[in-house]
Amino acid sequence: MKLALCSTGQEFTSTLDERFGRTNYFIFYNTESSEMDVVENSAREAAGGAGGLAVQQLVDNGVEILIAPEVGPQALDALNRFNIPAFKQGIFKTAERAIAAWGNGELIEIEKPGNKGLHKA
Amino acid sequence: MKIAVLSGKGGTGKTTVSNNLAALMTEATIIDCDVEEPNSFIFLKPTVEKEEDICVEYPVVDDLRCKHCKKCAAFCHYNAIIAGTLLTLPMKEICHDCGGCAIVCPESAIEYQTRTIGRIFSGRAVTGNKMVYGVLNPGELSGVRIINQVKKIVQNDPIVIVDSPPGTSCSTVAAVEGCDFAIIVTEPTPFGVSDMKMVVEMLRSMSIPMAVVINKAGLGDDEVYKYCHDEKLEIIGEISFDKTIAEAYAKGELAVDVSEEKRISFTQLWGAIHGIIEVTYDH
Repeated sequence: MKLALCSTGQEFTSTLDERFGRTNYFIFYNTESSEMDVVENSAREAAGGAGGLAVQQLVDNGVEILIAPEVGPQALDALNRFNIPAFKQGIFKTAERAIAAWGNGELIEIEKPGNKGLHKA
Repeated sequence: MKIAVLSGKGGTGKTTVSNNLAALMTEATIIDCDVEEPNSFIFLKPTVEKEEDICVEYPVVDDLRCKHCKKCAAFCHYNAIIAGTLLTLPMKEICHDCGGCAIVCPESAIEYQTRTIGRIFSGRAVTGNKMVYGVLNPGELSGVRIINQVKKIVQNDPIVIVDSPPGTSCSTVAAVEGCDFAIIVTEPTPFGVSDMKMVVEMLRSMSIPMAVVINKAGLGDDEVYKYCHDEKLEIIGEISFDKTIAEAYAKGELAVDVSEEKRISFTQLWGAIHGIIEVTYDH
């Protein structure tokens, strides 16, 4: 299973980002091989529609599960269409902890979108 | 003659200046191009004679024809199409309706459907002015289509006052484009000056002559005066910070109706605008 997380840094122990579309990095984690991969989020500087461009990167990388702070309405619709469920990272501050929490079934699936275009700096 | 009233910073007095100027020249048409938050109608109380919906088209992918080649997504400058190996998904709210994806699609799998993004109201203000204003539906990305249509409706009118959106975004550029003259309404605060600088830069790049009106004069500091002096921007009017104007505004009333003094100051502003336009255009 390939997971994606939104991170401010490139490490497993970096603080998770508070944004999905405009996160600094995506951390990809393969639960079978325990391999980790980091990509810079190309949607970060997008003028608009960052959520869609972020979803495109997940699709391009074959992500099957998203762990995110929150997801806007358009991005959530798109994730649904691509069958990528999104889970709320909640209180977990690092990729390491959020992945462990997901493994323990502690994360809640995001069913309602957050506000559109929050544009958090 | 098309006169844009703009500011950079919101809340400096664009509507106050444009609406009060309009009230003193009833042959002028007033258009409210701040389609995300139009408010001129509050003060000018138009009788609406005509309404029209503004629509845009958006792509829909025919899943039976689409081979998921991703050419449409690669073409789309606004990233409005998410392309997977099994699904090609246009996002209609991000689409800017350029029509390019259908052209680049080798399978003719893209068709367009129409949706409404807002509405335009045309009529006559209580002051007698012809008035046109647009409203963008909440959640929509861009009001440019509406602004362009509002301007098209009044394109042959002899005098048009354009109440423009704040900032220097696409909407503001669309509102100001083609105007002969711009009035920058600013306030003597660091925020007013900072945002005004971007407007000055924008207007210069568009080669639109401009002059400055300082609203809420007496507040803040003198940075705006220094900036105008350094940049050789003419200050053609000052509206003093005055509670009676704020009270009238809060009630949806025009400043020119508050007192004879206010009427005279806006009449003088018209005089200054005439003067500078005559010098600029030599007629």
